[in-house]
Amino acid sequence: MKEIKILGTGCSKCNVTYQNALEAVKRSGIEANVSKIDDIMQLMELNVLVTPVLMIDGQQLIKGRVADINEIVELLKK
Amino acid sequence: MSDQTLVKEICPTTTQEWIKNGALLVDVRENDEVETLSFDVSKIMHIPLSEFAERFQEVPKDVPLVMVCRSGARSLRAAGYLMNQGYENVVNMQHGIIRWVQKGFPTKGDTQSVLPTQSNGSCCTPSSGESSSCC
Repeated sequence: MKEIKILGTGCSKCNVTYQNALEAVKRSGIEANVSKIDDIMQLMELNVLVTPVLMIDGQQLIKGRVADINEIVELLKK
Repeated sequence: MSDQTLVKEICPTTTQEWIKNGALLVDVRENDEVETLSFDVSKIMHIPLSEFAERFQEVPKDVPLVMVCRSGARSLRAAGYLMNQGYENVVNMQHGIIRWVQKGFPTKGDTQSVLPTQSNGSCCTPSSGESSSCC
């Protein structure tokens, strides 16, 4: 199962990215767990500077912008 | 990563002391924000957060650093980032340039850009007998 994490401080872009990730999982049919990390200490541990960050299986793949649904689907298929 | 240290935070008033003692302010706001309003202090450098990962090496390691931004949130992340990169003498200025302006500390530019209203209470509003809050 893939692990998707949206790293952010709870801003609207972070929330959109989270919703996009949920939708991408639905559309792709790939089993994945989607969660949000908004704790500032955890964000610092992960060296997050700009938000939101889309992280899949521990890799920060998209930083500082909203990842769109199709983009996430493609990343899930890799 | 596991030995992550909590970032120390100081208020704008304490920042004045740090500046007197030779600290360098590192402003991580974006270019347009800095063009509108900037900190008027002698030792300051500007690296937008959007460029910080590529440019953090420009920040000297041998001086005390006070990270600043608009409200203190972005600079906190930048402070944590620097500490993860081995910087030791780093603190974050809480409440950013917003509180700095409210306190009447020196700036250049349009202070109204960070002061939409002055009516909000703050965490440092003197209350319940708390004497001389540093904020």
